[in-house]
Amino acid sequence: MAATFFGEVVKAPCRAGAEDDEEEEEERRRETPEDREVRRQLARKREVRLLRRQTKASLEVALLEKYSCSRFIIAVGNNAVAFLSSFVMNSGVWEEVGCAKLWNEWCRTTDAVHMSPTEAHCVFYHLKSNPSVFGSCPKKNMQVTVLTCRHVTDYKTSESTGSLPSPFLKALKTQNFKDPVCCSLLEQPNIVHDLPAAVLSYCQVWQLPAVLYLCYTDVMKLDLLTAEAFKPVLSSRGLKGLAKNVPQSTEILRKLMTANEVQSNIYT
Amino acid sequence: MASRYDRAITVFSPDGHLFQVEYAQEAVKKGSTAVGIRGTNIVVLGVEKKSVAKLQDERTVRKICALDDHVCMAFAGLTADARVVINRARVECQSHKLTVEDSVTVEYITRFIATLKQKYTQSNGRRPFGISALIVGFDDDGIPRLYQTDPSGTYHAWKANAIGRSAKTVREFLEKNYTEDAISNDNEAIKLAIRALLEVVQSGGKNIELAIIRRNQPLKMFSAKEIELQVSELEKEKEEAEKKKSKKTV
Repeated sequence: MAATFFGEVVKAPCRAGAEDDEEEEEERRRETPEDREVRRQLARKREVRLLRRQTKASLEVALLEKYSCSRFIIAVGNNAVAFLSSFVMNSGVWEEVGCAKLWNEWCRTTDAVHMSPTEAHCVFYHLKSNPSVFGSCPKKNMQVTVLTCRHVTDYKTSESTGSLPSPFLKALKTQNFKDPVCCSLLEQPNIVHDLPAAVLSYCQVWQLPAVLYLCYTDVMKLDLLTAEAFKPVLSSRGLKGLAKNVPQSTEILRKLMTANEVQSNIYT
Repeated sequence: MASRYDRAITVFSPDGHLFQVEYAQEAVKKGSTAVGIRGTNIVVLGVEKKSVAKLQDERTVRKICALDDHVCMAFAGLTADARVVINRARVECQSHKLTVEDSVTVEYITRFIATLKQKYTQSNGRRPFGISALIVGFDDDGIPRLYQTDPSGTYHAWKANAIGRSAKTVREFLEKNYTEDAISNDNEAIKLAIRALLEVVQSGGKNIELAIIRRNQPLKMFSAKEIELQVSELEKEKEEAEKKKSKKTV
């Protein structure tokens, strides 16, 4: 136990293990049928559901597997999604093939079935003119590109965050990714979090070439400068040839920003 | 390490950081950009106006405030903190005038604001002010001044500076483009401020607010029309420069 300056008592973490370990073990073994039922229901709730958004019809994973692909691009976070939808998805016809919904205990709603689109939701699109761009399951010769944003305070550096040229791009790649990256690699300690980390780990384990482009920014909400910071990625092999009209895409991005401006009175 | 030393303002970390003050500087970055330029005969403050909600009265959403007839300031960060600091500064300006029968100098009022901010970094149970301020004005001696304060309570004089979101991008632009020629003419100094803001403002001239103080003249706020005029002049100049450049290459 430790006490802070204001007298609050804080439990210090102990690596030797808690004192009452043995008693906890016994309690765990005494599981009732009720516990088992609750656990089964939770497991059912946590299942990942694949469906078509318009018809809400379920999709079998096997149906998605028929879309083989060579390039899989995933955007996580509002700025990465805004960039991808303005620059890539507006140049060419992209068809929605399905969407994945999932629920777990961190979701704010307890209703796993009728979740709104702002919650754990992932939509899959494929390029009609070149169906080899996109896919859901790993095939050989598939290259994965992940785009995401983090706050600049997550970037580990001895410099003060005020002196960093945010927004800036850093890359992290798997062993099998041999192509040149379009920005510098993330320096040690090169730690990434959440879904992009999970995707990269998966690709590393299954020996897929994958690259994560991480934009460090000090504006986490939808912002033009941050979304435009991803522009160098358009020259990478993963996105080559997908962005046709850059000035028009910049205009679309600008409109998206103004349409989505959230007014907050806390900061001026 | 940060997580054990960042909850109380009055606690230093082993490597000498006051984390709460550094976090307050992050709060400043959540505010929209403000730029200040000190010309030879003019001081200019330009800010990115945030979009006002439909039913909100625009006059009550202001980033540029007069502290006295000859001093004004722009801030970035927490709105409520700014209101408190501005009120205290305004009272101090009048109190000074009544006590010593002289108006405050720009440096005096800046030092007052900075001292106030510093007190809140050393006080038990209080958090620092989450604002940075750009304070401009002319002293009695006719010299233009521009000062910047930050949540730690430091203040410095600047020739040109920016605070708030993307301040670094704007500062780099100013470093490249601030020349004696650029600021010798009042109009050029105003154009420099607008050009600096346009680097980071997302929707052009209609989201910019500008204020100037000329020697021996009161604060002047530009109307939306005047700003649009300046922006369109700048765009014309840019087009002409590009035409000249393409002619040269041909």
